[in-house]
Amino acid sequence: MKTRSMKAAATLAGAMVSMALVATGCGKGADTPADTPAVTEVTFWSWLRASQEVTDAFNKTHTDVQVKFEQIPGGAEGYGKLTNAVKAGNAPDVATVEYAMLPDMLAQGNLADVSGDITDLVKSKYPAPIQELVTLGGKTWTVPLDAGAMVMFYRKDLFEQHKIAVPKTWDEFKAAAEAVKKADPKARITDWNQTDSANFVSLNWQAGAKWFGIQGDSWKVTLDSPESQKVAGYWQDLITKDLVTNVPAEEVQKRKAAGQVWTQLGGAWAAGGLKAGLPDQAGKWASAPLPSWDAAPASAMVGGSSFGVSKTSKKKEAALKFITWMTTTPEGIQARLASGASSTLPAIPELADVAAKNFDTKFFGGQDIYGVAKAALPTIKTGWVWGPGMRGVFDGIGEQFKLVQTGKQQLPAVYGPVQAKTISDLKSRGINAS
Amino acid sequence: MPPTRSGLARRQYGVAALFTAPFFLLFFTFTLAPIGYGGWLSLHREQTSGLGLGGEPEQVFVGLDNFTRALTDAQFLGSFVTVGVYCMVYIPVMIGIALVLALLLDSAYARAKRAFQLALYLPNIVPGLIAAMIWTYLYTPGLSPIIDALDKVDIPFNLGSDAGAVGAVANLTTWMHTGYNVIIFFAALQAVPREVIEASTVDGAGQIRIAWSVKAPMIRGAVVLAVLFTVIGAMQLFTEPFIVRDAATTIDQAWTPSLYIYQLTKAYDMGGAAAASLILTVVLAVASFLVTRFSKKGATL
Repeated sequence: MKTRSMKAAATLAGAMVSMALVATGCGKGADTPADTPAVTEVTFWSWLRASQEVTDAFNKTHTDVQVKFEQIPGGAEGYGKLTNAVKAGNAPDVATVEYAMLPDMLAQGNLADVSGDITDLVKSKYPAPIQELVTLGGKTWTVPLDAGAMVMFYRKDLFEQHKIAVPKTWDEFKAAAEAVKKADPKARITDWNQTDSANFVSLNWQAGAKWFGIQGDSWKVTLDSPESQKVAGYWQDLITKDLVTNVPAEEVQKRKAAGQVWTQLGGAWAAGGLKAGLPDQAGKWASAPLPSWDAAPASAMVGGSSFGVSKTSKKKEAALKFITWMTTTPEGIQARLASGASSTLPAIPELADVAAKNFDTKFFGGQDIYGVAKAALPTIKTGWVWGPGMRGVFDGIGEQFKLVQTGKQQLPAVYGPVQAKTISDLKSRGINAS
Repeated sequence: MPPTRSGLARRQYGVAALFTAPFFLLFFTFTLAPIGYGGWLSLHREQTSGLGLGGEPEQVFVGLDNFTRALTDAQFLGSFVTVGVYCMVYIPVMIGIALVLALLLDSAYARAKRAFQLALYLPNIVPGLIAAMIWTYLYTPGLSPIIDALDKVDIPFNLGSDAGAVGAVANLTTWMHTGYNVIIFFAALQAVPREVIEASTVDGAGQIRIAWSVKAPMIRGAVVLAVLFTVIGAMQLFTEPFIVRDAATTIDQAWTPSLYIYQLTKAYDMGGAAAASLILTVVLAVASFLVTRFSKKGATL
């Protein structure tokens, strides 16, 4: 075992040495003013669907800036990679940052301050709630791409066939869950994700919880609140009564393919994944607003990304040119949607229409799913703020889920330990929190 | 003119230096330097201030605080306990199976020895990551034909229990590493003098008796060495539980020391991670020291 890892290390070493040689070679060329390249090459890291297509389209239509796209993993791994790369000085020029992770990335000092260049752009083009997500400490840090408005995708054919009404409130959702199980004992209304907490966090947002807040010079962390308790109690009940699937993710996918999972909660962007994962069920799915706690429709955001310039980038201008093109022009949005893989809902309202036109709705039986997502935008609960340490919060809740699954813990008890750990983690990093 | 003695020696030194330089260069760059950097990191902690929006975190000297934190963290200490339990299950089973297989291969009745050696060795060339992913599927109820079959005959296997998790990981590593040790033991068995075996046959010992009372004791050195190398490998356990974690709910983020360290890096606690890594390194160094001690002893047996 030891010798093998040594061998791997040696191979890696060789590769790194040669990469370093290439890098220094490039550096020398750029230093000499005589052969300053007319084309600025910027690198771009992302995991978002259709990023390669967007890059290709940009490169085709631009001569002064050329972009090199590199696929990185999403989630904790991707952000870890970015943080390490900034430290090592080989970060990409353009980085993808989800709204939830922006405070964390700022606390790590990963992003360059480009507020002077983008504040006017963001202020003039984006709706106020979206602006808030990328404005922290009075500065605008990144340019938003999409709004991950949460909706409910559902198997229209099955709901109609069994004459079950599409639930509009969470009470109706529970009733429908019972009806679904009755109609098909193997089927459940939705899947309870045993490890990924992103949806659950956003359901707390929808219920009016506010997990982070700023009080003067300090973060106020309040995961455990009456609103959160309401959400946890509700889902614990569904789990206890066996009204939602409670199986590992691999098996959920299998059950979805078998038509045993009738709804899927998720951001507008999740439609692309649904389409790719279940090609046989084309025409059978539809989109509806997320069920709400009272009659008034309410939503939250799950995911949603923006682009920033990394701290170590020396090509700020070129990077911003690409970012602006990707996020604020019809061409940029068109390129993202044309491949059919992405179902991103652009944060700029006019561009949402461009996206709707470019999205192939065959999978959703021709339904205007962008209409549903757009209608959800103004119903997103206001006042939610993402704080630093969200990576730990998502992870921590995910770990607690494992205890819930084995019955060692009940959902309402998951907030306490994660809240305490988040506060102590922030404090040990020198960040004021209580 | 013939080269002088010292000139020749000097030239040989030069050649030797040329050949060993790449090793020392890589050894310094990728082993010693990182350990040194790790040592520096372990004495520092990243600090920002206020809301944490003010730019780059600073490295603040905190003395041995990171070490005290690690050594008083129940999670970190618990991870060593997990590995200990895992070793107690995994090592006897794996070494036992490997020894029996090697003795079978070495017996007078064995046929197609080469083919069996190759077949037994095959799992070892599957990368740990891939093996873990395949086994995770085989452990998932509803997806795995094995679990479903066990269920039908009422032998429940619960990956979600503590014992289930240790069993699952131990089973996976046993599958991977048994073949490797069979090869080692088989090679050692080849060195057992044939006269000794002939003598025992003349004395009336059967194959089983020979295997157990003659051959096995004679390769004790190899077995001891294999056990201790396995202990060192097992203490660094990471890939397998990291992947099986997806299905095994009791494998938490600090199940083994390596997982604990990884978890700290995710929380941006590089100082704590470096300190925990150094503690693990010391423990491993002690184990390595034991390897050399025991192997010397084993060789004289």
